[in-house]
Amino acid sequence: MFKYQFRWDTVWGSFDFLMSGLQMTLIVSAITLVLAMVGGLIIALLDMSRFRALRWIGVSIGEVVRNTPILVQLLWVYYVLPIVFGIRIEALVALIIGLALYQAAFISEVYRSGIQSVPKGHVEAAQVLGLSPLQSFRRIVLPQAIKMTLPPLASNFVQLIKFSSLGAVISVSEITRRGMELSATNFRPLETFTFIAVVYFLICWPLAMGIRFWERRLQNR
Amino acid sequence: MSTTPIILADGVTKRFGTNQVLTRVSLPVMERDVVCVVGPSGSGKTTLLRCFALLELPSEGRILMEGTPISTAQPDREIKAAARAVRSEIGMVFQHFNLWPHMSVLENLIEAPLRVKKMPKDQAIAMAEKLLAKVDLSDKRDAYPARLSGGQQQRVAIARALAMSPKVLLFDEATSALDPELRREVLIVMRQLALEGMTMLVVTHEMGFARHVGTRTVFMDRGEIVEEAPGAAFFDAPKTERAKRFLQQFEDD
Ligand SMILES: Nc1ncnc2c1ncn2[C@@H]1O[C@H](COP(=O)(O)OP(=O)(O)O)[C@@H](O)[C@H]1O
Ligand SMILES: [Mg+2]
Repeated sequence: MFKYQFRWDTVWGSFDFLMSGLQMTLIVSAITLVLAMVGGLIIALLDMSRFRALRWIGVSIGEVVRNTPILVQLLWVYYVLPIVFGIRIEALVALIIGLALYQAAFISEVYRSGIQSVPKGHVEAAQVLGLSPLQSFRRIVLPQAIKMTLPPLASNFVQLIKFSSLGAVISVSEITRRGMELSATNFRPLETFTFIAVVYFLICWPLAMGIRFWERRLQNR
Repeated sequence: MSTTPIILADGVTKRFGTNQVLTRVSLPVMERDVVCVVGPSGSGKTTLLRCFALLELPSEGRILMEGTPISTAQPDREIKAAARAVRSEIGMVFQHFNLWPHMSVLENLIEAPLRVKKMPKDQAIAMAEKLLAKVDLSDKRDAYPARLSGGQQQRVAIARALAMSPKVLLFDEATSALDPELRREVLIVMRQLALEGMTMLVVTHEMGFARHVGTRTVFMDRGEIVEEAPGAAFFDAPKTERAKRFLQQFEDD
């Protein structure tokens, strides 16, 4: 170990190659976040539905997704869905669907707790003044709930950046996959994966710190 | 003056599960009445007010507004329509103000007139400014609730209720959440409203207010109206043991 000769030039030489992987990582994370926000809304609406069957569906999706490993879910989407529906799914599409489904289950909880963070009295005040349930939701509940959900949504984005590395397993060419490919040719896994870990850290850490600061400010309002 | 009560509880019983909180409460509030409801905590005062405000349905009995039923245990379509029609004519002031924190004072005041009454914006703003002057908060027009003291927030809440020109105003311990030195400014506004002839139903622990401003005092205990008397008479000559015992705790005041 002490005699190890670092050869960082093997990483710099493939900088563009790795950065194109980072680009893929960020694109996958962003698209997935948007889909997961929509999916989370659907699950939250199912959960709060007046119909028992719909509530059951919403709750079941959430429970299954939260209580199975995300890697298994990804592999399932990639290998099982094509068998069931008889179509081949692009690895990239499978990754986005798998991650989005997983994240949607958590985001539905974010929405729910955002809505529940609005004191009941605010809604009752609106009700007594004659606002309709829809008006009171749009004007009183939503603006306050959104403010509370933004930091957790940003946290979800950070999580997605990390989880998207699982795409490497089904050969989506995000940055981790690029690292695997590179180290298979330069035989320098130490430099390669150290560099990749630092890249993840430099993106995720400032975001996480910013979010923590933001959440504290919301709490002390 | 009309002999139909502005608002009337007619044999209202309310249960939460098996817990019976109100037992056949009948209470008319006539025009220009300032009815003060007093009683130990847990006696059902808030629940009664919430039934009047249509925030709770009675388990039995009815709420009537100017003779028209607006709430029963199982309101039919006609009653629901009547309730929608008069809903904003029943104003309520809460113990914890319940201002909307994401809106400025002015926005809190004009929200319901704009959305419910479809009042033109300039007209709503002019009226809101007049009401703010009335509660002595003109300088707080653009402030956010979090920047105001409790007393100021409660006065804004009163102005917000007044913005819908209610026929009756319900107060649920409007000063209980305030530090003693801030209560006065809210009580002054309430007394001013009473003097102007506003019909009010006031749940309160302010015995001075009940005695001097109230036209009628209602004593509640364990979900029942135990005693009812004109303003000061209740305090000078309580008839029941329960009322006497209740009043004893205020004797130091
Ligand atoms: N939403 C509710 N669910 C169950 N019990 C309730 C509810 N609201 C009030 N109660 C009960 O009703 C009783 C009377 O409460 P309340 O009307 O608040 O009394 P007061 O305002 O006179 O203190 C209390 O025992 C309280 O626990
Ligand atoms: Mg109470």
